[in-house]
Amino acid sequence: MTVETRALTKQYGMGTQKVVALDGVDLSVEEGDFISIVGPSGSGKSTLLHIVGCLDAPTDGEVYLKGSRVDYRDKRSLVLLRRHFIGFIFQAYNLIPALTAVENVEYPLYFTKGMRSKSERKARAQRLLALVGLEHRAHHLPSELSGGELQRVAIARALANDPALILADEPTGNLDSKTGRSILELLKRLSTEEGKTIIMVTHDLASAQRMSTVVEILDGRIQNRP
Amino acid sequence: MRKKLRVLLIVLGIAIGVAAVIGVTALGEGIRVQAVEQIKASHDLTTIEVSAGVSGESVTLITNSKINAIESSPHVALVAPYVKDSYVTQNNTYLAVKGIAAEYRQIHEQQLQIAQGSWFAEAEAAGTPVQVVLGYDVARRLALVEDLDVGDELVVKLRLYGEEGRPVDKRTTFRIAGTLESTGDEHDNEVLMAVTNALELDEKGSYDGLIVKVDDPAFAAAVRERIKDLGLSAHSAQDVIDEVNRLMVAVTLVLGFFSGISLIVGALMVINTMIISVFERTREIGLTKALGASDFDVMKLFLAECVIIGVIGGICGDLFGIGFSVLIDLVGKPFLVSALGGSIGANLEAGSITIVTPTILVAGFAISLVLSVVSGLYPALRAARLSPLDALRQL
Repeated sequence: MTVETRALTKQYGMGTQKVVALDGVDLSVEEGDFISIVGPSGSGKSTLLHIVGCLDAPTDGEVYLKGSRVDYRDKRSLVLLRRHFIGFIFQAYNLIPALTAVENVEYPLYFTKGMRSKSERKARAQRLLALVGLEHRAHHLPSELSGGELQRVAIARALANDPALILADEPTGNLDSKTGRSILELLKRLSTEEGKTIIMVTHDLASAQRMSTVVEILDGRIQNRP
Repeated sequence: MRKKLRVLLIVLGIAIGVAAVIGVTALGEGIRVQAVEQIKASHDLTTIEVSAGVSGESVTLITNSKINAIESSPHVALVAPYVKDSYVTQNNTYLAVKGIAAEYRQIHEQQLQIAQGSWFAEAEAAGTPVQVVLGYDVARRLALVEDLDVGDELVVKLRLYGEEGRPVDKRTTFRIAGTLESTGDEHDNEVLMAVTNALELDEKGSYDGLIVKVDDPAFAAAVRERIKDLGLSAHSAQDVIDEVNRLMVAVTLVLGFFSGISLIVGALMVINTMIISVFERTREIGLTKALGASDFDVMKLFLAECVIIGVIGGICGDLFGIGFSVLIDLVGKPFLVSALGGSIGANLEAGSITIVTPTILVAGFAISLVLSVVSGLYPALRAARLSPLDALRQL
């Protein structure tokens, strides 16, 4: 079991103004699974992704990554989980504009001990760009790349530290349907060929159903059992 | 591009602050060195003036045993005792008499040149006239007022105080053996005689002073300490140099401190710019943390920027500071020379009034670096403490 949540609850606000984002979510994701979480805006799907990604802490409930419980009070362990176990992909790509594609992929490696040699980092970044089919665009700045290319760079960056889990927050939201489909195909390939566990939040139910196991969420509760 | 301009402006701000401090410090250092050089040129650093030591009520006199102790100290080349007395002629002309040992003449060989006649010989028996040599001004005065010349004798009175404290005048006769060339110092107004004769006449039994010559200026301080340990007081040109050094260091520190106020402005600029930078890069910080950077990694990222600013600011500050010092030398020196005038001005003209030492440059660089990093601490801490999720949500 790569990811497991038990009775996960998240509330925002205080007193009578309480907003319940997650209401007792139990979710199990096996290694190599490709899960899509779908649901309307405000259903709590992004909150779930952030909590599993160790960016946010739950109000109640437990999260297990690789079988061990996440302690949200221990900042250091959260940093290490984010660094070595989790890779993030965002809707808006979030590439650093001043860095070239290959430098953006290298960026997370700067914080990783044992990856200190420059040539080692460069080689790894190049290899990952090749994996997403962008080796020929390595030395372009983000401003010179198309949306699909940007998201591929972001995926390569998410893979930099070879994480077991990839969390994608609406990765196709800013792309046309054709480009979006190719990104989903790339993610699918990562799960089948590289054995990555992928949890993706999306609006696009049709594509999600074609590519992955769909988990529907509404008002903070899971509607179906995959 | 906008950011580059911003960094350039802070670097300039810090560099100007550092340059101001360097310029002022270099000026202080330059004037200090000039002053010390002038003292060294006009004083003999190997001689130590010793006088009776006074501590509270008790007075330590210069006796023969003290002289022996000093003579046996290491690095002491010569010890020249002297006594000073006041005599009056029958026409009430005041005479400052100094009884000097042979060593005294040796030490002052350069100055004490006979103009007329010869050096005194010691008077053998009591009652025979005491041979004296007149200083340049005394000789002129006595020739003019009392019509005395080399070879003449004169009757003088020495006022002594008896057991019961009553003044007793003692009469004696001087014979003028010779006169001195002008020396330009206190010897022009003195009447010199053998120290043995002087001690017989004034019945004091101790000396009024010693001049100690050391074989090497480097040991002057140690010998001085040794003399002070004997209870005597000792002075040398080094005292004046020490005094000048203390004064100039204090003045330079105060001036440097106030010129350093411009550095506070530089520090505020760094803080301001870094806070803006943190604000602008909030999203980037959030991303960096989501990608696995720790708080400390984020802090390092911002502090590295401050280190770069500090290093460039330090180098530019040093360069500007050197330029500033040259400018002070070019513009300030003529002004100082004309304001001071005379020999001091003339001496200043020869050298440079600013000296930039490696220490000053290293200090300037260090100030810039420390200032930048310390100013960056708060913004960097703010960046490090951002919650990654909040930071990512922001745009």
